[in-house]
Amino acid sequence: MELFNKKFPGVYYKRRGKYKDIYTLNMVKGQKVYGERHYKDGGIQYREWVPERSKLGAAIMKGISQTGIQEDSLILYLGSASGTTVSHLSDICTKGTIFAVDLAPRVMRDFYFMMEKRMNIVPFLASANHPEEYSDVPQVDVLFQDIAQRDQVKIFFKNYDKFLKPGGFGLLSLKARSIDVTKKPGIIFKQVMDELNKRSIVVDYRKLEPYEKDHAFFVVKKQ
Amino acid sequence: MAFEKLRKESLEKLRKDLKASVGDDNLIINAVNSMEELERTGNMMVTRLREWYALYNPEFEKWMTHQEKFADLVIKKDKKTLLNEIHAKYSIGADLSEEDLHAILILAHQAKSNYDSMKYIKEYIESKMRKHCPNLLEIVGVMLGARLLAKAGSLKRLSQYPASTIQVLGAEKALFRHLKTGAKPPRHGMLVQHPLVAQAKQKDHGKRARTLADKISIAVKVDYFKGEFIGKKLKKALEDKFGVNY
Repeated sequence: MELFNKKFPGVYYKRRGKYKDIYTLNMVKGQKVYGERHYKDGGIQYREWVPERSKLGAAIMKGISQTGIQEDSLILYLGSASGTTVSHLSDICTKGTIFAVDLAPRVMRDFYFMMEKRMNIVPFLASANHPEEYSDVPQVDVLFQDIAQRDQVKIFFKNYDKFLKPGGFGLLSLKARSIDVTKKPGIIFKQVMDELNKRSIVVDYRKLEPYEKDHAFFVVKKQ
Repeated sequence: MAFEKLRKESLEKLRKDLKASVGDDNLIINAVNSMEELERTGNMMVTRLREWYALYNPEFEKWMTHQEKFADLVIKKDKKTLLNEIHAKYSIGADLSEEDLHAILILAHQAKSNYDSMKYIKEYIESKMRKHCPNLLEIVGVMLGARLLAKAGSLKRLSQYPASTIQVLGAEKALFRHLKTGAKPPRHGMLVQHPLVAQAKQKDHGKRARTLADKISIAVKVDYFKGEFIGKKLKKALEDKFGVNY
């Protein structure tokens, strides 16, 4: 068995020279979502999780300590785009459900064809800035946000207050350049860290270099 | 699954929403993008055609500088007539066989039909824009108007831009260089394609782009809310201000 499961449920590691690749179990056999490689091991098909394409994948590769994502988690995912990361989350949370929100019809179209066969995804074509548009979503265990917006922290807390269970995890992927191009990313990360610390507990934080430029990934916990 | 019912309802709504999300914006934007690609491939084809045809009739290739007319005439007329037309006494081109010439003409036909589709698409965009955003069309014309739409993504987003943003649309590199390093800000982005800016003196470029962007901003807002046709008035204001006709 070349693949081994280390600290995250549903995430498998495979050695490649001095590096490690990450894989998830492919829920829909034969499906490729974004041109990733498949790997077969003991009759089970795995999908490679490409960290350059997925910020959560990048954070895991950078060795983040915890994400709070379990097999039976309910996840609210803001900014699902074409569903690259969501497809992997759907592989992991076989008993849970992912509520994916995105505003743009163009990417939702790709997303639609991806999620047709994945029964644990519920899509919403709505703006993350208006949580009332998808108020059918129940209280969730994990809130994931990946929208590169100037007021993304504000939007994060809007959803955080409305949907996240106490004790739940918030995952925030931050693009410094979309908050202010003129400031240095390090300064913005610090500001956001302070802002997050006021309302929640920041558990871990990683910069996503070299996978993404000027991005940071925050894990917070609600009390 | 626990949320099967919610998923079903949500999917149904998504299908409806996706169907309704396709508007005139998307059609115009795709058409104008396609137009730009056609222009590029057309130029490439004629460049190759010139190179190839010059083996056979270099005098005419040298004489005719217009790309589209070149492809057209090569198809319509033979070597002798063309040489007569440009009063060339003899040709230094090789005498090619029927078979060789045929291969060249296939490329010429391809290039010609490329130009024809460009014309058709341009008319299509114009008729679309006349209904969708008449004021914008009146002020900036077909191609620039459609390009502005494509840059913004939709008429809604373009109408939400302030005039100062419209002024530098298409000059993002220079704008961010300005913001980051304090270099000089750009005077205009794609508005330089507009005759009012393009024909101005260098020192007036900024002034004219600024005024033009202002009028575009007004026009687009009226278009988005389906207001009256004020394009003529705005255009006249521009022309009066700078004392030119375009």
